[in-house]
Amino acid sequence: MAEVPHRNRLLAAVLLAAGILAAPAAHAADPIKLGVLEDQSGDFALATIGKVHGIQLAAKEINASGGIAGRPIQLVIYDTQSDNTRYQQFMRRVLQRDKVDVVFAGFSSASREAYRPIVDQLNGLAFYNNQYEGGVCDSHVIVTGAVPEQQFSTLIPWMMQKFGKNVYTIAADYNFGQISAEWVRNIVKQQGGHMVGEEFIPLGVSQFSQTIQNIQKAHPDILMTLLVGTAQASYYGQAHAAGLQVPMGSSVNVGQGYEHKRFPPPTLANMYVTTNYIEEVDTPASKAFLGRWHAMFPHEPYVNQEAENSYAALYLYKQMVERAHGSTKRDDLRAVIAKGDVCLDAPEGRMCIDPKSQHTSHTIYLAKVNADHSISFPKVWPDIKPYWLGDNGCDLTKSDPHTQYTPSSPPPKG
Amino acid sequence: MWRLLEGPQTLGRGRWFWTGFVVCLGIAAGYPVFVDGYTVGNTVYFFDWVFMALGLCLIWGYGGALSFGQTAFFGLSGYGYGVLTTDFGAAHGFTLLALLLSVGLAAAFAALLGYFLFFGRISGVFLGIVTLSVTLVCERFMSQTAGPEWHVGAARLNGYNGMNAMPPLTLPWSGGDIVLFPDIGLYYLVLALLVLVYLALRMLVNSRFGNVLVAIRENPERAEMLGYDVRLYQLAAFVIGSALAGLSGALYTSWGQYITPSSMGLNAAALPIVWVAVGGRHDLTATLVGTLVVLAGFQALTIYGSQYALVVMGALLVATVLLAPRGLVAGPVEALLRRRRPGSAR
Amino acid sequence: MASLLNLLYQCGDSFAFLVLSALGLAVIFGMMGVINLAHGEFIMCGAMVTVSVARLGLPLPVAIACGALVAGVIGIVLERLVIRHLYGRPLDSIVATWGISLIATQGTLILVGSSLPGVGTPFTSVSLGGNSYPVYRLLLIAVAVALLGALYLLFNVTRYGTVARATIALPHMAEALGVDTGRVYSLTFGLGAALAGLTGGLYAPTMTIVPTMGGTFLMEAFATVVIGGTDVFIGTAPAAAVLGVVKALATSWEGQLIGQVALLVAVIAMVRVLPRGVSGWLLQERG
Repeated sequence: MAEVPHRNRLLAAVLLAAGILAAPAAHAADPIKLGVLEDQSGDFALATIGKVHGIQLAAKEINASGGIAGRPIQLVIYDTQSDNTRYQQFMRRVLQRDKVDVVFAGFSSASREAYRPIVDQLNGLAFYNNQYEGGVCDSHVIVTGAVPEQQFSTLIPWMMQKFGKNVYTIAADYNFGQISAEWVRNIVKQQGGHMVGEEFIPLGVSQFSQTIQNIQKAHPDILMTLLVGTAQASYYGQAHAAGLQVPMGSSVNVGQGYEHKRFPPPTLANMYVTTNYIEEVDTPASKAFLGRWHAMFPHEPYVNQEAENSYAALYLYKQMVERAHGSTKRDDLRAVIAKGDVCLDAPEGRMCIDPKSQHTSHTIYLAKVNADHSISFPKVWPDIKPYWLGDNGCDLTKSDPHTQYTPSSPPPKG
Repeated sequence: MWRLLEGPQTLGRGRWFWTGFVVCLGIAAGYPVFVDGYTVGNTVYFFDWVFMALGLCLIWGYGGALSFGQTAFFGLSGYGYGVLTTDFGAAHGFTLLALLLSVGLAAAFAALLGYFLFFGRISGVFLGIVTLSVTLVCERFMSQTAGPEWHVGAARLNGYNGMNAMPPLTLPWSGGDIVLFPDIGLYYLVLALLVLVYLALRMLVNSRFGNVLVAIRENPERAEMLGYDVRLYQLAAFVIGSALAGLSGALYTSWGQYITPSSMGLNAAALPIVWVAVGGRHDLTATLVGTLVVLAGFQALTIYGSQYALVVMGALLVATVLLAPRGLVAGPVEALLRRRRPGSAR
Repeated sequence: MASLLNLLYQCGDSFAFLVLSALGLAVIFGMMGVINLAHGEFIMCGAMVTVSVARLGLPLPVAIACGALVAGVIGIVLERLVIRHLYGRPLDSIVATWGISLIATQGTLILVGSSLPGVGTPFTSVSLGGNSYPVYRLLLIAVAVALLGALYLLFNVTRYGTVARATIALPHMAEALGVDTGRVYSLTFGLGAALAGLTGGLYAPTMTIVPTMGGTFLMEAFATVVIGGTDVFIGTAPAAAVLGVVKALATSWEGQLIGQVALLVAVIAMVRVLPRGVSGWLLQERG
């Protein structure tokens, strides 16, 4: 039991080495260098190792079919150890020492905010391939993850129609949780429902007796669980043991930390999640993608939405560079994005980059966790746009504020 | 006064040592010319942390009081710098004033906390745990300040994600301020500060103050019987050391234009102790060298060791404590000195 | 009535968590003066062994016992290899055990992977006055109390306990009387590690099993030990009781964050008032 994942990584390393070594033999051109900063150890490793694998898979495929504009991709990978200072160090390293053309970086929002000043200062280009709380308006950053308006404007109206109008939110007590809770609050109000409770849990808390009692007292129809991190994930087992059976909605669970695979059923039964991809998605494109993935990484525990984002991001980048006639300069690539038709038929379905915010539209799947922890998809919304930044005055084609906005501090008007 | 540069409390004396010192300084001053911008900026990053290590060396190595919470002062000062420069801008070299003010803020907080601790006669392991609690309270508190209600002037504290995009240090200059991005300019500024702090600390520990501090470390009751107010001396060392932690914090913040609550968390709090212990906590020079070696070594391990980096780091720590209890730097040097001068006691 | 019952349950729940988090650390610190920063990793080890054994089909109590046993054995080995050389250097032992904790966390990630599937919480819940209380958590409270009692008996009634206390008080005298002090230290460290493993096993059904899970116990453990002071048997229970009440009250009053902050502030305040912990104060009062 103990040896399998270890061998898996060894195999992955060998395959990667083979991929990289084989590539220069086939192409005489200079490689396009791609920096990868992801947490392969520490707290976040669980959800992020797959992102690295996704990039490696896409790089192998692209290199096997002639590279980007005839140039092979060379990966420069660092392990950031779930540590913000490592992001600062290695972002400088990939941009100044390795002189990469583009960087794929970051899991937590804190890590993104740690490297963003450095990317801005050293004039780099970064892809942030993660679902997050939204609001980054910065021409140096392209976001391929889903944002709250994509996940909540679909999930909450659907759930309220089905289960009722009383909503209780428990959320991690930091930026992601607070901003997501704000989104929930606003949408519930718009839809004519009301909040019967809202509670914020500090990161790292693993004991939930009090919270569970509070929820029991409030009798909500819907419970939004915006909990983050492995410690807070203990909530579900404890709530189940306490006999709490309110339908749950979430934007982070299942799609990121594959809790339905890790917890014994029926802990997560009756949970509804909006995600732009999970490996259960049952389309031909998704199945073919999974087949290629498992051929390269046979022991992958789960392919989550961030893994697919990272894979798709490399193909988006390839398209941008090739349409810019092989240039990897940020201005040339942004000129391509400005045309508004950088789109890709990804494993999830069609995704396009929005020129105003440099965020990505997605196919949003409503995943329902059944009693045996299998997944069914009661609803699919194609082409859900990341509208909030653009509607509120962030337009990167006109100005570049290098700022993260939130619903309570939106871009200045005018 | 200059004779205090060497003495019983510091390793290294005589012509050989100072020749070596000047050679090292010369290499440090000349080397940015030969390396790329990344290496220069990265070296500044290492230097930024050394101040906190030297401060802890004074408190723990010389004063015998283990503070596990130096990162609280690091963070406070970092946030201080962020708030001040975000609110008042960077014009006319205000950033330098902000640097001083935030170090002062850290020192004032240390004086308050230190008064409470040392005049409450809290010592040993308990001191470590209380200071650790303080830094963890700071971390937990800052982590939940994401909402718009948490701001000082125009500066949002921004919770767990951290404050960013504050201006870097600037030098006022005719015809426009010079912005010190992590490159050669900042390198020389921080190097100069480092040399200054190092020499000043050498003089401090070899002065009467330093001797009393060491006497307290060796035997607090005896020092008290001799008429010294132990609490006052420990408090003074604590304030100076914490001000240096504050200096590290403000420099780090201006270096990366970023400060986050996790820089006050448990892992961050343990790091200074590791640097000081590995180098050799009883000596400033050993701490200085040890800190730089550990920082560079751990970074190299992370770059080349992939997932085994943390395992190797842990093994190194255990091995150091077992095989070189006086520190990886101080231990061998002291052994060498003892061999050369068999009569000497130390 | 219902709300009083609620509060009682919350206090009991916090008390159990604090006691179980702290016991292993308290034994090692109180008896040997070693601050074990790898405490959380012993807990993690106990939890991992417990779920692995339970998934083989053995009953949960057996699995938990296996978790405690494995953690204890690893503790004894570590004591022989590392800790033994650090007696009398408590500050160095902090560095060494932190190193061990790094190795354990990352080593587990490499060998076992980023998480293990959990086992469900056994038993259901009982309803009382409109609220339901999970039986397993009520059981944890009982186990915490029972463990405190068992440890008291172990150290005050058995021969090992007498010898151990003699060794701690006057090691040289104990040695002169023919006690194998090395063995006593080994056993004591093993006992502390086994208690940590037991805690991991007990909480394993209620938590996600990941290599970093030990960290969530650490702060509470340290808080309880510091407030308790060096005498484990006198100090730990009242310390956990005080902190449990503070934390439960603050949490039900203003939410989880205030609960956490109140816990840490209580630690700082208590240390200021009782610099030698509850046990130091009690012993002093007793004369």
